[in-house]
Amino acid sequence: MGEPIIQTRGLTINFGGQTAVDHVTLDILPKTFTSIIGPNGAGKTTFFNLISGLLKPSEGNVIFKGQDITAMPSEARVKLGMGRCFQITNVFPQLTALENVRLAVQAKSGVNSIFKHYLKYSELQDRAMEMLKKVNLSDKANSLALNLAHGDKRKLEIAIVLALEPEVLLLDEPTAGMSLEEVPIILDLLAKIKKEGQHTIMLVEHKMDMVLSLSDEIVVLFNGGLLEKGNPEDIMKNEQVQKAYLGGMS
Amino acid sequence: MDIFVNLTIAGLSTGMMYYLLSSGLSLIYGLMGVLNFAHGSVFMYGAYAGVLVFGLTGSFTFGIIAAIVVGAIVGYTMERLVISRVYGQHLAQILLTTGLMLVLNELIKIPFGSNILPAFQPEALQSSWQIGEIVIVKYRIFLIIIGLVVATILNAVMAKTKLGMTVRAGVQNPEMVQVLGINIKKVFSFVFILGSALSALGGILMAPALGAINPEIGLMYQMTGFMVVVIGGMGSLTGTLFSSLLVGLASSYTAYVYPDAATAVIVIVMIVVLLIKPSGLFGKGAE
Amino acid sequence: MQQIKTVAPSVRKSLMNNWMLQIIIVVILAVIPFITGRPTQNMLILIFCMSVFAMSYDILLGYTGVISFGHAMFFGIGAYGISIYLANAKATMGNILLATLIALAVSMIISVFIGFLSLRVKNTYYAMITLAFAQVGVILAEKARHITNGYDGMTFRVSSVLMNKMLFYYIALGFLVLSFIFMWKFTTSPTGRVLVAIRENEQRAKFIGFNTLRYKIISTVVAGAMASLAGSMYAIHMRFVSTSVLGVAKTIDALLATVIGGMGNLYGAILGTGIVNFAGEYLSKLAKVHPIFERWYIIFGLLYILIVLFAPQGVIGLIKKITNKIAAKSVKR
Repeated sequence: MGEPIIQTRGLTINFGGQTAVDHVTLDILPKTFTSIIGPNGAGKTTFFNLISGLLKPSEGNVIFKGQDITAMPSEARVKLGMGRCFQITNVFPQLTALENVRLAVQAKSGVNSIFKHYLKYSELQDRAMEMLKKVNLSDKANSLALNLAHGDKRKLEIAIVLALEPEVLLLDEPTAGMSLEEVPIILDLLAKIKKEGQHTIMLVEHKMDMVLSLSDEIVVLFNGGLLEKGNPEDIMKNEQVQKAYLGGMS
Repeated sequence: MDIFVNLTIAGLSTGMMYYLLSSGLSLIYGLMGVLNFAHGSVFMYGAYAGVLVFGLTGSFTFGIIAAIVVGAIVGYTMERLVISRVYGQHLAQILLTTGLMLVLNELIKIPFGSNILPAFQPEALQSSWQIGEIVIVKYRIFLIIIGLVVATILNAVMAKTKLGMTVRAGVQNPEMVQVLGINIKKVFSFVFILGSALSALGGILMAPALGAINPEIGLMYQMTGFMVVVIGGMGSLTGTLFSSLLVGLASSYTAYVYPDAATAVIVIVMIVVLLIKPSGLFGKGAE
Repeated sequence: MQQIKTVAPSVRKSLMNNWMLQIIIVVILAVIPFITGRPTQNMLILIFCMSVFAMSYDILLGYTGVISFGHAMFFGIGAYGISIYLANAKATMGNILLATLIALAVSMIISVFIGFLSLRVKNTYYAMITLAFAQVGVILAEKARHITNGYDGMTFRVSSVLMNKMLFYYIALGFLVLSFIFMWKFTTSPTGRVLVAIRENEQRAKFIGFNTLRYKIISTVVAGAMASLAGSMYAIHMRFVSTSVLGVAKTIDALLATVIGGMGNLYGAILGTGIVNFAGEYLSKLAKVHPIFERWYIIFGLLYILIVLFAPQGVIGLIKKITNKIAAKSVKR
């Protein structure tokens, strides 16, 4: 497996006297699937925000591919190979699905001319269409993102992030707010991405069946701190985890 | 020495008026993210209402009350009728408050025209004290005292009352307040009414110091108000007070040495602050 | 791949239709001087210049989602560039061109500075800080009375070729057409699409790797440059410049025109400028009938508020809706 691709060293953030993430030290190995679980308010999303650069830590470091990126702005982290989906769907509402993905492809390609029509870069269009196909959204290519069904918006966001060809994929509750029928589609999609073996995936998710079936490793956060880390079987057997997790859930 | 004292008093009193104007701007922005471009118009309406009622009744106290009432009503009406429709949409908010500013600034011209309206000091405060070489204008001292009283009350409300604590929590973390299940609509209306009333109070108190008012003073003072909150830090009342006094003093001293440069000096201070600490002197860290 | 092939032609087709319409409009405008009098011609020249100004404002407001209250500053730099230079130098074509270019460079440098200063904090800061800078601009121009003659304004001569209003009408029309083509190309380029992405969702734009600050500054520079050119053309047309070209009111004219006409498509800014100027002219004439019409600006203010609340696409959006309905009906038949 080699060197860890993401490392956090004593990562901590305080919000007005409250410690949302508390000295988390973690190694993520390349091409693994790691799920982060924990009760509401455990600091999962905040942890993602620290890794992706939306928040700056009060203490500690984030290391990506051996480079300390603690002070790096989020757009530079994306350029280094980090893609992120948000808990609340985060797309460009007034643009078509295709254009949403095309922009991501454009960002990746570095095309930034100011005088040639954007449609003349047909290679960007083709690549964007490929990504939409991958998430089974090619029939909606010309729909405005805001008109898509909730599940389709999530798929669109995954397509946007995949178009960045990131080494690390951060997925924050991709099934949040989805109807029961829509969940298996995302599950299949994630299984497919995992099978391709191109990405290191980090997932925040509440649906335990999904976490258990996909993860190589599970990280449990509790009150901002790292409670436990291990393979799915061990985590399920762990008494401390059961107590904290189930206790916190009720 | 006497000049220095007088300039300081003038600067502090003007600064206090900036505080009355800017504290509302800062709170409204901090809590709701609304950059209110009609805030200066409320300041101007306060000035007109106060001057008018003072002229009719001969009582400056009634003038002040009238200004506060008019400010609160205008603020509440704007918030309920227009701004509440676009919470969360920053662009639409600025567009709409700008529209309100245009309409309010033109409406005032229907009864009053666009010419100046003289504004007088209340008789009791017209004279001045003389201490040796130093002449102290009573009205200026009055303004400083009022400013201090308002700042103290405002701080107490924010620190001690439940409503105030909610507002402070909301400025710190707007999403949190929504989650807490507090009736956020009422809190928003309250802050809008409070901010507008303070702005209008600033208007009537400033009018006699200016000697005359016209519809343009709204945008003029609002511009200074913006610079005050940018320097002090959006959402911080302490920052707003500090920055108001800083701006008041800086423009007072500059105006004495080189009157034309007063605005330029404030702009330069703002540029320096933006370069060094973009979120303002007392603002919460970078976004 | 099939999908892509159906995308491109449909886009191309709608572009074709637009081009046809545009050519018709330009032809009509080109014929107008032969059928109307001097006042209408002068009015139209003014509208051409102000349309370019409004379109440049649309790049900020409609495309990037950034509001400026000091955009007139760049217009004013363009105008004063011409007036100050020509008041002190011979009015040759070379000098006029030189003055325009100097003003253009100054505008671009200032827009980079203001953009960097405010946009790295928040987009709303741009609104406040441009207002402050514009105010400083007005004060500077007022205080430099010996050069600018302040609010009373300065007059100057332009080369005799440009005094021919018939010819200048076509120059101004050409300026409008070229400016439109330039800005249209800019807004449909990959860079222009990033601006739209920023308007739609700046956080997502950052999280696909765009340095949004850099793009926003590009937007302010292009907008500032075009505003400066519009100001220069305006000055050549008026042969008179006063501090009012720098004021907030000038910026608000562009804001009203863009919002009323329709944001984010350039046509709206042109249409809006036409509406605001012609309606303004008409309403202020009514002021002679009844003094209440002296306050005609209220009508624009209210119209503007209603449009922001209920028809954010502006008049262009309403026209599109109506034509779509008609088209849908005719298809049914």
